Amino acid sequence: MKAKDIMIPLEDYLKPDNTLKEAVNIFKTAKRDDTRVGVRGLPVIDEKGKMVGFLTIRDILKAVFPSYMSLMDLGDFTWDGMVEDMARKIGGKRVSELMTQKVISVNEDAPLMECVDHMLRNNIRRLPVTAKDGRVVGILYEMDIFIAITKAMN
Amino acid sequence: MSSEIAAASKAVVMGPSFWIATAIFILAYGLIISEKIHKTIVGIFGAAVMIVLGIVTQEDAFNSLDLGIDWNVIFLLVSMMIIINIMKPTGVFEYIAIKSAKIAKGKPFMIMAIFSVVTAIVSAFLDNVTTVLLIAPVTLLICQALELDVVPFLITEAIASNIGGTATLIGDPPNIMIASKAQLDFMAFIYHLTPVIIVVLIAYIITIKLIFGKRLQVREELKQRIMAMNEREAIKDPVLLKKSLVVLAITITGFILHGFLHMEPATIALFGAGLLLLVSGNKEPHHILAEAEWTTLFFFMGLFIIIGGVVKVGLIKWMSVQVLNITQGNMFATSMIVMWFSAFASAFIDNIPYVATMNPLIIDMAKQLWPNLSGTELLHHPDLLPIWWSLALGACLGGNGTAIGASANVIVVGMAEKMGKPISFKKFMLYGMPLMIESVIICTLYVWLRYYVIKI
Repeated sequence: MKAKDIMIPLEDYLKPDNTLKEAVNIFKTAKRDDTRVGVRGLPVIDEKGKMVGFLTIRDILKAVFPSYMSLMDLGDFTWDGMVEDMARKIGGKRVSELMTQKVISVNEDAPLMECVDHMLRNNIRRLPVTAKDGRVVGILYEMDIFIAITKAMN
Repeated sequence: MSSEIAAASKAVVMGPSFWIATAIFILAYGLIISEKIHKTIVGIFGAAVMIVLGIVTQEDAFNSLDLGIDWNVIFLLVSMMIIINIMKPTGVFEYIAIKSAKIAKGKPFMIMAIFSVVTAIVSAFLDNVTTVLLIAPVTLLICQALELDVVPFLITEAIASNIGGTATLIGDPPNIMIASKAQLDFMAFIYHLTPVIIVVLIAYIITIKLIFGKRLQVREELKQRIMAMNEREAIKDPVLLKKSLVVLAITITGFILHGFLHMEPATIALFGAGLLLLVSGNKEPHHILAEAEWTTLFFFMGLFIIIGGVVKVGLIKWMSVQVLNITQGNMFATSMIVMWFSAFASAFIDNIPYVATMNPLIIDMAKQLWPNLSGTELLHHPDLLPIWWSLALGACLGGNGTAIGASANVIVVGMAEKMGKPISFKKFMLYGMPLMIESVIICTLYVWLRYYVIKI
């Protein structure tokens, strides 16, 4: 089985100059397949059709987390409403500021094991799948690999 | 006197090795100041070239007290780094900072003042960069809770850390270097520098009250965020904390007594580090040791060898003759020049290479003034002591002048930038330079009164 056999074809994506507010709305309404709505991450694709980054809800969590908090153990000293305050501040930021720029992707003909290797090694749950010309044609989800594994077991 | 100086000047042979060593020295310092190449790389390579070209032998570089690496400085620094690295995860520093904010009852200026005093006190015993790295994250949190601009807090803490570091032998690298070369003990620093630093710190708090006092206002309900914090939650490892505090107390007692015990400060620090490593129950010391700031330590080692080279060929002696020609042996004038020149030099260049150069220069100067003396009789000559104190005060406090004057300043500027609140070179100088000049004026009055009027 190859990446293209179980990937979800790409329909929704983000643009680099989408605001974070727009991005979270796209996350909510993006279709994962015919039955499932809502995603936890999308590729960022510029006007030339080139993938320039990937944004996940983890990137958004990182954006509300002040950088100084990671320097010391300060989680016990935060207050109610702090996340909401930060969220209001970052709503207008551009996707390009917060996205992960180095995206790990696979070719559509990549064997499934290569995909598993990328996921485990880099601790990621979704992989953009690219065609020969570099265009993103779909997303491969951890869950879909899991389903493939379950089928093979039986 | 002047005939002696002229004779000393002639004793310097300006042959090929003199010029080669001088060229390496100037080139290395130029590169360090320009920041084109990392200063540690310059230090290591410059030192290697000094040895390869035979200016100093490897024996000199590794084993000579006058021409090579000052292991007192290295082991004192590395030992204190080990102690701090073991203590950090206990949460004691978070505890102190949160407790301080609560003692200030969430009032902004009180927080600024108490944080400055705490930073100064902690800096007197720990390295300034470490202190700032420990206090700044909590400051950022507190300022976010109070919805205050964090920049004035970060600047005042960096300056307080440089002030506090000046107070003791172990507070700031220039003092560690001076103590080793001049063989001055911990209590000598307490006796001669701590009193004036207390005055400087009080004046500093009053000054920042005048600058920031009125500007800092917060709503009552925001103060509740601070008062709701429970500092006890900061303590992650109470057992290790108790052990650390006992070892720290033993180490500081050791520093106080080291002159009496006839032990070098590095011996005391090494004992403290070794003891804490032993009792902490650490099975794998790798990461504790790896976290020591090796780039700083190697910078020191390289620098000592480069300086050793120019000492050996006589450049430093030649420079000391020039200084004596200017001052004509007037020791009060010398101490004032040393203090103010050091202050302005340290505001713009790293005070570590500066003091590394000044130490042998002062010793050479003393040798020409009192050719019959040696050892501590020479180094602790009553007329020479105020020069050492002026060097320490000028070089440490001078760092406050600009954003690049001291490593603590560089750290807070970097942190502020990461938070999206950049502190420009000009903005730092606007606060730093007047505060630096204020502190050096206080020190000038102190040195003049204590050593030249009252003479105690």
